[in-house]
Amino acid sequence: MSGGLLLLATLGTSLLTAVLIFLLPERAFRARTGLNLGAALIKLSLVAWMVWGLSRGRGYAVEFPVLEGLAFVLRADALGIMFAGLSSLLWLFTTVYAIGYLEDSPNRKRFFGFFSLCVASTLGISLAGNLFTFLVFYELLTLSTYPLVVHRGTSKALAAGKVYLRFTLTAGLVLMIGMVALHVLAGDIRFGQREILAEFGPEDRLLLVGLFWVLIAGFGVKAALVPLHGWLPRAMVAPAPVSALLHAVAVVKAGAFGIVRLVYDVYGIELSAELGLLYGLVAVASVTILFGSLRALAQQELKPRLAYSTVSQVAYIVLGIGLFGPLGTIAALSHLLHQGLMKITLFFCAGNYAEELGIHRIDELDGAGRRMPLTSLAFSVGALGMIGVPPVVGFLSKWYLGTGAIQAGMPWVIAVLVASSLLNAAYFLPILGRLWFRPGPDHGVGAWPEERCLGRLETHAWLLVPTLATALFSLLAGMLAGMPFSPLEWASRVVNAEYLP
Amino acid sequence: MSDALFTFALPAALLWPLLLMLWVPLMAALADRGQPRTPLDGLWCSAPLPALALALGVEERSLALDWWLLGGHWALDGTRGPLVAVTALLWLLAGVYARDYLAGEQARAVTGDGAAEARLRRFALLWPLTLSGNLLLLVAEDIASFYLGFAVMTFAAYGLVVHAQTRDARTGGLAYLVMAVLGEGLILAGLLWGAGSAGTTTLGGLREGMLEAPGGVWMGLLLWLGFGVKAGVVGLHLWLPLAHPVAPTPASAVLSGAMIKAGLVGWLVTLPLGETAAGEAFAWLGRAMLVAGLAAAIGAALYGVCQRHPKAVLAYSSVSQMGMVTVLVAMGLVAPALWPALSAAVVLFAAHHALTKGALFLGVGIGEHPPRLPAWLLWTLLALPALSLTGALASGLAGKWAFKAVLDDGGYKVVVTWLSLAAVGTTALMARTLWCQWQGERQAREDGLAPLVSPMPLAWLGALLAALTLPWWLGGELVDRGWPPLAKLPGLLWPLALGLAVSVMAWAVARRRPPRASWRLPPGDLWWPLVSGGQRLRVWGQGSLARLGSAQHAWVAWWVARERDAIRALDGMTRGEGWLRHHAAVLMIGVAVGLALLMLFGMASIGPA
Repeated sequence: MSGGLLLLATLGTSLLTAVLIFLLPERAFRARTGLNLGAALIKLSLVAWMVWGLSRGRGYAVEFPVLEGLAFVLRADALGIMFAGLSSLLWLFTTVYAIGYLEDSPNRKRFFGFFSLCVASTLGISLAGNLFTFLVFYELLTLSTYPLVVHRGTSKALAAGKVYLRFTLTAGLVLMIGMVALHVLAGDIRFGQREILAEFGPEDRLLLVGLFWVLIAGFGVKAALVPLHGWLPRAMVAPAPVSALLHAVAVVKAGAFGIVRLVYDVYGIELSAELGLLYGLVAVASVTILFGSLRALAQQELKPRLAYSTVSQVAYIVLGIGLFGPLGTIAALSHLLHQGLMKITLFFCAGNYAEELGIHRIDELDGAGRRMPLTSLAFSVGALGMIGVPPVVGFLSKWYLGTGAIQAGMPWVIAVLVASSLLNAAYFLPILGRLWFRPGPDHGVGAWPEERCLGRLETHAWLLVPTLATALFSLLAGMLAGMPFSPLEWASRVVNAEYLP
Repeated sequence: MSDALFTFALPAALLWPLLLMLWVPLMAALADRGQPRTPLDGLWCSAPLPALALALGVEERSLALDWWLLGGHWALDGTRGPLVAVTALLWLLAGVYARDYLAGEQARAVTGDGAAEARLRRFALLWPLTLSGNLLLLVAEDIASFYLGFAVMTFAAYGLVVHAQTRDARTGGLAYLVMAVLGEGLILAGLLWGAGSAGTTTLGGLREGMLEAPGGVWMGLLLWLGFGVKAGVVGLHLWLPLAHPVAPTPASAVLSGAMIKAGLVGWLVTLPLGETAAGEAFAWLGRAMLVAGLAAAIGAALYGVCQRHPKAVLAYSSVSQMGMVTVLVAMGLVAPALWPALSAAVVLFAAHHALTKGALFLGVGIGEHPPRLPAWLLWTLLALPALSLTGALASGLAGKWAFKAVLDDGGYKVVVTWLSLAAVGTTALMARTLWCQWQGERQAREDGLAPLVSPMPLAWLGALLAALTLPWWLGGELVDRGWPPLAKLPGLLWPLALGLAVSVMAWAVARRRPPRASWRLPPGDLWWPLVSGGQRLRVWGQGSLARLGSAQHAWVAWWVARERDAIRALDGMTRGEGWLRHHAAVLMIGVAVGLALLMLFGMASIGPA
């Protein structure tokens, strides 16, 4: 199969699935499930094929002109395929989870249709070859996520959806203005053509700095940078698989990935450092990390606490970008994957507790470790990873961020990292303590809020298996970090091949 | 042992406890519902055996694992080997002891007490996990493995501390966890900073890099304090007297004997000890450590003798002993030339303290459940490790002589004098421990005697024997100092005599005028003021978080209000449009008239011209 065709096939898999799902009747449960899983598997294998091909030095690109001087470009580079790999892998798990989670609930057709569309746009974002293509899929992502956020249709969900649209559509507008301005200034910049902006003289520097911050403001909404993070905790009313999608796979990651593209592939890390943009990024990220952790500490419910934790953790990626040097870059790129693995595990667990036992508040978790040992084990893995305890992958991110900070000459970042680790411990360890060390209903103290026995295992197998799989992945990706094709190894490869300053 | 065999044996020794840990839930799942299960069986006790065999059988070997974390590098050498051997031995004996110690809970679990069963299963799971962390940190030479072992040990041991689930156990567990997390933070900062500056992933590289890095001494300070939490540096020791008394006795023994040494190992592997190129800044760090160590050694003794629970007294004794070790480690920075000789003394002293303190802790349980032994023999056996700890005989004497000789040769007699004063304190602490035990034992003896030939007394006797004979079986260059000549004995034994005299005097005074109840000093000293301070800080923090939240709400509300204004303005335009539509005809006429008038006047004004 030729390179371009493979790209289009990968993208088309999800798009076609979305169309087919919309065509199927609501009650065609089996066909829809088969279609979903089949498409997820096909896509994963196509992406795996491209990963293999890229490691052998093949190239994958397709483009066609839209207007004079503006082209629609799809291109699989090492960075893009990394993000595509993450989203395809986690999509598979999220699909399995969603099938189990939404069993017997209404409007499943609508849900899975937009779900596929959402993933198609994420894939488009990861494979986009220039800002224009990126923006097209970025907006598509916004629109296709809205029906998922408001899926339940309650007034709270609708309100959250409204907030979500306000934030993201405004950001999309800002982003478009920035993109158009950049286009006027420099023409169609393909990702990787860093020399175009680098050649501008000192008189345009101020404009470039201004445009950079306009674009960051646009991306910062989805990446949930403080003070643009307000929509994320509100969007918690969405069903658990959607939260997982928002936090680990698609939306937040798309914002962070946009910043990665902007800094490394449009401006180039050297120009960004020259213009002093990286200091700003590090400052914004540090504030976000600490603010998110502090706010998480104040939450009494599980999902909002996890949401603020995402605010803080995604800023690690931005922090890594801001650290000029290969180690910081490795930290940023690998944390893109690491955070996804750990956070999706945590959200799956939160969903399992809510589905099986009706638990939403943290103080209801007492003794849940005895009732749901495997889920609680997965949650512990995710939480310890977030704190940065080895051998979970979170430690590797912290390691590279810390050493990268020294390399970039910003030792004070270590203080931010340690403070954030302590805060992470302060809001995750009490949960673990409640899970494992407090007596609960299974020890004869109190009762679960709403217990449903969903299966022969501790909960529905469709819910349990993806949770355990992602937990295992976050553990293995840390323990076997030195193996080829581990997230860390791939990130190092990307950095060594493309972004060594 | 060949390299290939070692490549297999070292990971196997570390994995064996983990396999036994997995075995516990597996057996519970496989067993029938009604069938009673005893998770602490003979197999479970064997967890540290492979590591013990390996440490005793291998002199120097190392192992590289490229795929592991950031690149694994594990080794056994002259320092690590003895520490692994002592640690594994203590864990083994304490494990055997635990089997009997928790027999009551096992019995209750068998009869269907769910809570006891859950506690027991947790203990059975976390004990081997803690052990494997402890062993890993001892053999690790790469930073990531070391930190992994340290973290696993620290977090898993929380479950051992809170085992009893009483209120005191929770307090102890909280103190333990808060301090441990704080320590982990400091360690992480020091490791990241050091490793980032040196661009290394091994501990050896870290030590070397620290010497050249601009802020090297600050890294050293972070690491010293971070590991100091574990090793009970004064001010960071609060968790020890709170956590040790509440943990089950075998867990206290490994906490105080083996795990506390992890802090020392942390210092040994990260600080640039004995580096003559270390410079003045590190010497100042050493002096700070020296003062802190002496303060801990003497202060903990003074505070500890006021305690009433024998395990609390022993915990303060651990703080005091680790203070002495801190002094010795500090000498590695203050006088690097002495370090090669001193490091052997430090390891010997650490090994001696590990086993002796283990034997003392295990002895507390023996005092509570006295076996069928004549009272004089039992008390002699209980007093032997106490005497050894004061430095009067066996391994204690050898350990004390080892560092005293080095320090005397190096001309640091003042330090020796201070350490001897600390030994006076140790004597008083030991006297206090035995006195507390005596009170408890008399009560227990009336309740009946336990059989001698059962795991608990045997494990205790084993620990006693291992501790007393340590210099003979540990071997290697650690004990090449040998035994002190007779002429030196008075210099080594006067602290014991003075300590005994002080104890007897204090006892006589206290007997005549018993101290009032309100004078009692609670275990955990600084913890309590800190807790009340923390409460206040928490109230303040919650207030400021709430203010932050309301500020955010105000900010959002402001924007929402602006948006409403904008919509109102749009509505205003609609209204205006409606008004225009309504009055269109009139307006048009008005405009037409206006224009006509304009033209008329225009014409008029132009016309005449």
